[in-house]
Amino acid sequence: MIKPVTQTSPLVELSNVSKRFGKVTAVDNANFSLSQGSVLTILGPSGCGKTTLLRMIAGFESPTTGNIRINGQPVQAVPPYKRSIGMVFQNLALFPHMTAGENIAYPLKMRRFSPQDIPGLVERYLDIVRLSGMGERRIQQLSGGQQQRVAIARALSFNPDLLLLDEPLSALDKKLREEMQLEFRRIQQQLGVTTINVTHDQREALVMSDEIIVMSEGAIQQIADPVSLYRQPSNRFVASFIGLTSLIRGTVEDAREGKITFRTTHTTLQGQASERFRFGETVEGAIRAEQVRISTDIKGAEGMDNILDGVVEQQIFEGDRMVYQISCPALGTAPLFVFDHDPSHHTPHAQGDRVVVSWKVRDLLVYPCQKYRVSNP
Amino acid sequence: MASNSSSKLPRRWHLFDIAERNAAALWPKTMHRYSGYLLLVPAILLVFVLVLGLVYIGGYSLHELDLATYRLKETFSLTNYSAALTSTTYQSVVLRSIGASILVTFFTLLLAFPYAYLMVRARQAATKKFLLISLFLPFFIGQIVRAYGWLIILGQEGLINTLFAGLGLPAMDLIYNYPAVILGLVQYMLPFAVLLLAPAITAIGRDVELASESLGANWMRTFLHVVLPMAKPGLVGSSVVVFTLTLTDFAMPEILGGGTTDFIANAIYDGFFQLSNSGLGSALAMILVTLGTAFVVILFFLAGTGTLGFNGREQ
Repeated sequence: MIKPVTQTSPLVELSNVSKRFGKVTAVDNANFSLSQGSVLTILGPSGCGKTTLLRMIAGFESPTTGNIRINGQPVQAVPPYKRSIGMVFQNLALFPHMTAGENIAYPLKMRRFSPQDIPGLVERYLDIVRLSGMGERRIQQLSGGQQQRVAIARALSFNPDLLLLDEPLSALDKKLREEMQLEFRRIQQQLGVTTINVTHDQREALVMSDEIIVMSEGAIQQIADPVSLYRQPSNRFVASFIGLTSLIRGTVEDAREGKITFRTTHTTLQGQASERFRFGETVEGAIRAEQVRISTDIKGAEGMDNILDGVVEQQIFEGDRMVYQISCPALGTAPLFVFDHDPSHHTPHAQGDRVVVSWKVRDLLVYPCQKYRVSNP
Repeated sequence: MASNSSSKLPRRWHLFDIAERNAAALWPKTMHRYSGYLLLVPAILLVFVLVLGLVYIGGYSLHELDLATYRLKETFSLTNYSAALTSTTYQSVVLRSIGASILVTFFTLLLAFPYAYLMVRARQAATKKFLLISLFLPFFIGQIVRAYGWLIILGQEGLINTLFAGLGLPAMDLIYNYPAVILGLVQYMLPFAVLLLAPAITAIGRDVELASESLGANWMRTFLHVVLPMAKPGLVGSSVVVFTLTLTDFAMPEILGGGTTDFIANAIYDGFFQLSNSGLGSALAMILVTLGTAFVVILFFLAGTGTLGFNGREQ
């Protein structure tokens, strides 16, 4: 049977996929599709259902309801070993009784590649992951980073349609993790393999992906490319999960479309919203730490829209920047976080200092306050 | 206030305090640097008693029985060994014991592996518990009672023959033969093998099997290429235990064999208590120890020390 594969037909397609374990809903009505050659990251806190989603695509779990299609074909009845999917596991799941080369040859043998092709392919993929000449090494003789590379080569050597990454980098230290993120990106671009990556690390998601799905409590919250996701989070959860964000609660006083005026503890603020609100509705404003300006007096707040007095509660030195936690009497108890990149090192605000904080209306994003569940389009 | 907060500390801690104070009286502070050696006491007890017994038995085995006095002669000789090794009766006893050990090890592992695998991988807690309880129950019953259990089932007027008679079939001799002894031994050894296999299978990790599946292997090939080789330490450990326990078994051949299928241990017993020839019995005992040791050494040499390993390197 010839399956029509065109530029527009998605490689992976999930429609209304839910998974329940007893009374627990691990995945709630997930819908998305993934086109050939792109990198999708499913991002969310632990327990949000992202791994369950990945395991359903791999075929280790089957959806309670809904359909998964790969290459246009429904895969419910297809066992994992008949799917053309390479997976890198969180703990790598390498075979310790085989050498690195044997690990990479394993899928080729199991998928009945011609025996005379196998050594060449093993060499090629060792080369791609930059482990040339290490095929004879035993898994225990390799470093953590090298083991990662073997796991990647093993998942790719049989040229699968789809590569799944189940947080394989989460156990690495920061430096190695960042190095491997770039490696993944390089290998993915070299081979053009369609990839689904699961992580709780927002930086990794932003660095590695063409598209990001944010999940919380089993539900997809937003699907967007990294830039839109960061600049236009579609709800309060996404806004607070990505980046360092301060949340300010209040009630709507004036709700002209686009520009919302809402009353907080002791002041009124103006913010930006993409939906309509009723008068008196409870809302939450979200502002990123890098959008807030901190200054010693009102002169520093020139050109800004919302201007508040505050006191420095805490300052944290992060090398390239200071992170201030400010309490503003006008906002009640809600803390306000501010990044200050100060290349000239001359205005450190000390704990207890009185400061002025300010931001622009367009940077304060206003969301409905209730807990949000989104059924995506 | 202070007493209130201290009463919230776990009661156990107070017991430990008391124990520590008393320990100081028994084992003064100056002795503390030798504390580690205390841990050696059980090992020394075990090895000391074993070696002492072996030295004595080795000594007996080198003295021939004086048929005039029914005491062992003063002079050293290898007569007992030559008698044991040249007698066709003893030769067949030794061969039978080794053959049984091989068969029992094979069949026990064949049955124990699925049992252990299911016990480790079962998703339902109830299944796990059922399998675990079933595993430990036989330990409370003991070998003799279980052998008699088999007599009740397999005997001339046992359950199976009664059933056969009901169907009009002739009665069969199901006991007092080699297969009956093997059957009894396999059933007896099963829990030991499962207990030694379970940790090895636990160590394999479910993800490794899933990885194998996603790489294109069905469960059969996953089992052969991944599970079985990775379970090797458990297989080695349980082989050693089942083989040596079978080789030295006494009760099953005695009760289910009914004198027709004596193992070495039965011959040793007869040597000591039927023939009153402690020299010959000791020589047979030394042969048994040598055989068992040789098997264990060969297996360790070929396959590593498995779960009984001395170093952390073995996987």
